[in-house]
Amino acid sequence: MGPKRIENKRRKFFQTSAALIGGTLLYSLIKPFEALAQPKEEEDPKIDKADLPLWGMGVDIEKCIGCGKCAEACKIENNVPIEPFYFRTWVEQYTVKKNGEVKIESPNGGIGGLKQSVPDEDIFKSFLVPKLCNHCTKAPCVQACPVGATYISPDGVVLVDETYCIGCSYCIQACPYGARFMNPVTKVADKCTFCYHRITKGLQPACVEACPTDARIFGDLRDKETDLVTFLQENPTEVLKPHLNTHCRVFYNGLSSEVR
Amino acid sequence: MPKIIFRLLFSFVVFVGVFILIQRSLKPDSFGEYGHYRGNSLNDNKMRTPYFKGEAKCAECHEDVYDMKSMDLHDGVRCESCHYPKIDANTDCEVGPPIVKGTIKFCAQCHGINAARLDKGVPQLVLKEHYENQNCIECHNPHAPWDLKE
Repeated sequence: MGPKRIENKRRKFFQTSAALIGGTLLYSLIKPFEALAQPKEEEDPKIDKADLPLWGMGVDIEKCIGCGKCAEACKIENNVPIEPFYFRTWVEQYTVKKNGEVKIESPNGGIGGLKQSVPDEDIFKSFLVPKLCNHCTKAPCVQACPVGATYISPDGVVLVDETYCIGCSYCIQACPYGARFMNPVTKVADKCTFCYHRITKGLQPACVEACPTDARIFGDLRDKETDLVTFLQENPTEVLKPHLNTHCRVFYNGLSSEVR
Repeated sequence: MPKIIFRLLFSFVVFVGVFILIQRSLKPDSFGEYGHYRGNSLNDNKMRTPYFKGEAKCAECHEDVYDMKSMDLHDGVRCESCHYPKIDANTDCEVGPPIVKGTIKFCAQCHGINAARLDKGVPQLVLKEHYENQNCIECHNPHAPWDLKE
């Protein structure tokens, strides 16, 4: 009785394991074809991206005079708290001193006009860099969001879902450009939306509207007739932190290597 | 099937079923419509009212000022660069007219001296030395800067 019982058990064990392994293998073989079984349900709600615009912005550092009108206009347009820590867009003044030191300053985000704090005789060069969300094609903030509250819209704008955000601020840490902040009023992540409520109505973003020197150029990257595309054709442009492979849609002309 | 296996399988199925039910009820309707986010959120972002109305809107009523500005050096500066719309977009301009005082401090935002903006075609002045603390608009017409008042 003894040895036979063991054999029976062993046989059953082999049978079940074979069935399990075979089943798993079979399933993994079938799985790739699952998509074929129901392709229509998947495709219908999707938007054809080629018909949509692909928004982008050009920033001409050679034209920026650091008046801070863009930062102020942005605060008014988007109800950003007026305290000097919350900015969707801001202007930085870079001063390279003759001893090689780089001084970066942005008092109140540039609102009220930037003033040079370094005496003229010490300056090697000085320039102004407007900053905003770079609307990355491969956005680190979108990957970091645990609930899907930040996303890239079909027309290429990185947006925040204010009602869905849980305020964990992972995205703020993930953003390599420091373009996000925690809104103290709504208690959720806040960032530049390219003024999504304006651009979808055919208007320009508020910062572009307010810029007195046309240092910001906004437009559709797919439409080859726009000012933005002309700007990209005529100027050698660069994105910020290209080594991060974020594939930004904000392009800078006249970008120095000191800019971080 | 032994009773214990049945119980185990049964509780497993119940657990998975309850999980799916809860997950379905908590998931917003439009989630996943275009991607891993709430599709309706696109509309929420679109729905807000724009404050800045654009130059064309200003020119509808203030054509004279607009023409004067277009003829002079401040041509590229749009109305709302200086006259911020500090009013609700739905109310009329008359309810809260956007006023600018034209002080030295205000003009210095662009015309104050700064090493970074020297060669950019914007006149740079040490404004306090320029005309002893008078408000800029006492001599200059902001819409046509070289129309000097006597």
